[in-house]
Amino acid sequence: MKLLNSAEWGLGLRFLGHNPLRLAAALSGVAVAVVIMFVELGLLLGVLNSQAMVASRLDADLVVMNRARVDLHKWTNVDGIRLNQIAAEPDVAQVIPIYQGTMGFRNPPDLSIRRIVIFAFPANEVPFDIGNPEKISNVLRIPGSVLFDRLSRPIYGEIRRGQDVELDGTLFRMAGFVSLGPDVVNDGAVVMSEGDWLSRHPNDQPIMGAVRLRPGTDVHEARARILAALPDDVIVMTPDEVRSREFAFTLKAAPIGILFGIGMLAGLVIGAITCYQILFNEIVDRFAEYATLRAMGFSSRFFRRVILEQAAFLSLGGFLAGAALTWIAYLYLAYATSLAVGFDVFSSVFVLMLTVGMTVMAGLFALRPVAEADPASLY
Amino acid sequence: MNVRIEPLDVKAAPQSAVSIVNVSYRFAGSHRAILKGVDLTLAKGEFVILTGPSGAGKTTLMTLVGALRAMQEGEITVLGAKLSGLDAERQLRLRRKIGFIFQDHNLFDALTAFETLWLTTALDEKKPPRQEALVRAEALLGELGLREHLHDKPGKLSTGQKQRVAIARALINEPPLILADEPTASLDKVSSDSVIALIKRRVKLGASALMVTHDARIFAAADRVVHMVDGKIDRVE
Repeated sequence: MKLLNSAEWGLGLRFLGHNPLRLAAALSGVAVAVVIMFVELGLLLGVLNSQAMVASRLDADLVVMNRARVDLHKWTNVDGIRLNQIAAEPDVAQVIPIYQGTMGFRNPPDLSIRRIVIFAFPANEVPFDIGNPEKISNVLRIPGSVLFDRLSRPIYGEIRRGQDVELDGTLFRMAGFVSLGPDVVNDGAVVMSEGDWLSRHPNDQPIMGAVRLRPGTDVHEARARILAALPDDVIVMTPDEVRSREFAFTLKAAPIGILFGIGMLAGLVIGAITCYQILFNEIVDRFAEYATLRAMGFSSRFFRRVILEQAAFLSLGGFLAGAALTWIAYLYLAYATSLAVGFDVFSSVFVLMLTVGMTVMAGLFALRPVAEADPASLY
Repeated sequence: MNVRIEPLDVKAAPQSAVSIVNVSYRFAGSHRAILKGVDLTLAKGEFVILTGPSGAGKTTLMTLVGALRAMQEGEITVLGAKLSGLDAERQLRLRRKIGFIFQDHNLFDALTAFETLWLTTALDEKKPPRQEALVRAEALLGELGLREHLHDKPGKLSTGQKQRVAIARALINEPPLILADEPTASLDKVSSDSVIALIKRRVKLGASALMVTHDARIFAAADRVVHMVDGKIDRVE
């Protein structure tokens, strides 16, 4: 015996489609909720990703940092001797020291001085995935040549290749560009060679070491051996672990998780109320018709299917419309904040699930009058 | 296209379609009983009209027979099922065997006449495919003079036409019991006659019909006319 008569399919859509104005209002309500959720989530992920950008760009198997450096924006140096000790380990192919500091960047057009972050490392070894390593090395081998982060915020003015720029009163040749990206606090970055950096900061120590292991070496075993050979003033993590730690630190240290979470909740509530109201009106307007079907013997499952069909359509339609609007919002946000705001699989699936959950819950609540309807009242 | 309607299996069912024994009923919060010890039997293949003044209890009795209200006192047996203690799921299954005709058509404005009937066939245990449902719907709407309105939505139909579609909806699954409340109230004489003729044909094939009406024009079509007054059966003609 067939469980379903095919006439039962598509009823919810036909009922919704019969009133185009109401359908448009419902889709708009869901779309607005989707935009709010996407924007809040996008900003949250944008902040988190931007704060952990350095870890995401690392081209290394392991990262060595001072144990006191509990987040990437606390610039506690690691003793250079530790990097030499690690380099002596048989599993280790290479340890690249990375220096980080700030310099005053004089903007050529208006001559104002702005703070900029400097990343420095040996010219022959590029520890970041920020561009063509060979080209970067070729530039950095020339003393006084630096690279500008093209993703920096526009406050530094227009930077041209071959232009001379002033960093802490010294002229450098801007010989090319890399792609790193700013974070919430820092607006931009310049990459220079270890030699250029140390010539101006002779006593500086690296802020981290990028460790590359010999091919075939198990990362976790190598880390255990490195840690066993060193005092406990350093920590050794994979770049992914550093990134995750940075996410957790940012969420804990700043209330952004709560702020953006409340924003998303607001979107969810707006969408749920809109959806509930629309579906409730849809049901109330057809109450006698639904009650008639109930009297005739249609089960609660039938009504749930009709309303869930409507909820599914509203959630998918609203999601697509909302995603299209969000795409425009993201373009603006990325431009305005220079943060890594954009669509990804996680946020898309997450918002879609929230949207479907929101409309389904609204639909099931809206269905209560039918469930409680007294079919005897029809006579 | 005509459809031959098979007679119901009378051997499998009891001889009475509905048996009402000493039924009383009062609404919640009311001291006055709307039904007072009513006894009535509707035989298989019988057409009975319930009539009487407003407040006599006709509609309440109809809703009790239709398993739309919970029993209080007495016993009603419908198509072999005792309604006292019948759980919700069984009530639902029983109602699927009843053709309900309400005073208002209550048609979904988004569905055509055929779609309304096709949807109703979902309550038929056989769940006929679309083509079979179409054949049934064409035949039934044809009998009601609505064949050309098969694919029209309610917005294109007159009140009388909508009521006839609602009547077709009640009959599409060939129910063994028809419960009708003033089915001809919004119909002209010609339409009213066609509806009564259709119900009579179903009754001849073994269905039973219980109809509430004030329309004296159709009393003659019934096997019995039961007059109710003040919650009791006053007389039977």
